[in-house]
Amino acid sequence: MSSITEITSLEDWEQHVSSLPPSTLLIVSFHAPWAAPCAQMATVLSTLASEYPVTEPPSTSWVKINAEDLSDISEAYNVTAVPFLVLIRNGQVLETVSGSSAVKVRDAIERHASNAGPGTTASTNGLGAAAAAGNAEGEVATEEDPEKKKQELFRRLGDLVKAAPVMLFMKGTPSEPKCGFSRQLVGILRDNAVKYGFFNILADDEVRQGLKEFADWPTFPQLWVDGELVGGLDIVKEELDNNADFLKPYSVKANGDVFVGAS
Amino acid sequence: MAQPSISEDSLRAALTERLKATHVEIQDMSGGCGQAFTSLVVSPEFAGKNSLKRHRLVNAALKEEISAIHAWSAKCQTPEEYEKEMAATGGHDKPPLDGTEGGKVAGVSE
Repeated sequence: MSSITEITSLEDWEQHVSSLPPSTLLIVSFHAPWAAPCAQMATVLSTLASEYPVTEPPSTSWVKINAEDLSDISEAYNVTAVPFLVLIRNGQVLETVSGSSAVKVRDAIERHASNAGPGTTASTNGLGAAAAAGNAEGEVATEEDPEKKKQELFRRLGDLVKAAPVMLFMKGTPSEPKCGFSRQLVGILRDNAVKYGFFNILADDEVRQGLKEFADWPTFPQLWVDGELVGGLDIVKEELDNNADFLKPYSVKANGDVFVGAS
Repeated sequence: MAQPSISEDSLRAALTERLKATHVEIQDMSGGCGQAFTSLVVSPEFAGKNSLKRHRLVNAALKEEISAIHAWSAKCQTPEEYEKEMAATGGHDKPPLDGTEGGKVAGVSE
């Protein structure tokens, strides 16, 4: 289960990069703490990272960089907007993904993680095959087999709903909800000091439509707890009416943690 | 593309017939466009089912209707629960209006 390391200085960055074996896929996420789509992308990436086992030599390395603090690095990689993902292997940039499409990000990472053979000039020296063997994805499917695409999407959704113990799929973000139901549900979570991950379904139509089918639930917001659907605003309110401690196991009141959604 | 027009009456009728509902209240919260409703559904079929299962029953019964509108809320009670709440609140058991302002859904629907 890989996790994401925060790089906090230029030295840190250079040291990390130089320590990586040439076969490792370096996944660099540029973010800005004030940008809501970055919080969502962080959830997506940590879910993804947890699917990649830590191997020796490491097949993947996951780091995140505050694009504003470390602007030298951002400039070097032409980061003009966040969130921004850069995939590097053996010092070469393989691909970049700008924006918050969870689908594009996952797709790019999976393709390069399973495809350890680099392009043209870099040396392969047999490490490519070893790295590829670890991942069962095989070659990239170029024709769009709809059944396969759907299975893929459902697999991703299955992971996404478990990205955090409490996951809220909403319209907008906690600091800027785009619908009254989502706003109220965010308020309830805040009042109960619940620590949760969120996903803005307005920013990703594939998840928006796919989740309706996956969950067999026609509307948003959707609250998921421990990978299972609880329901929408009306159901959450009913659950709380029946049991005021319904969300207590997920609250952070005890340790005074700071959590998302202060508006 | 003519769709069956969704109205409070048609929803009420559908729920009564498909879920053997003994009491149904539908409130339009769309501010006029007829695309957002909240409901109170009382039916013995809800007995022994948790909140999610009850809502799924309603969703299944109104599958086509719900997919045609922008917003849907429901309160699902058994006849006993309904009586109890009416008694406790002096007759104020109503469709939920959470998330709405002045009886209308707040914010963008799409």
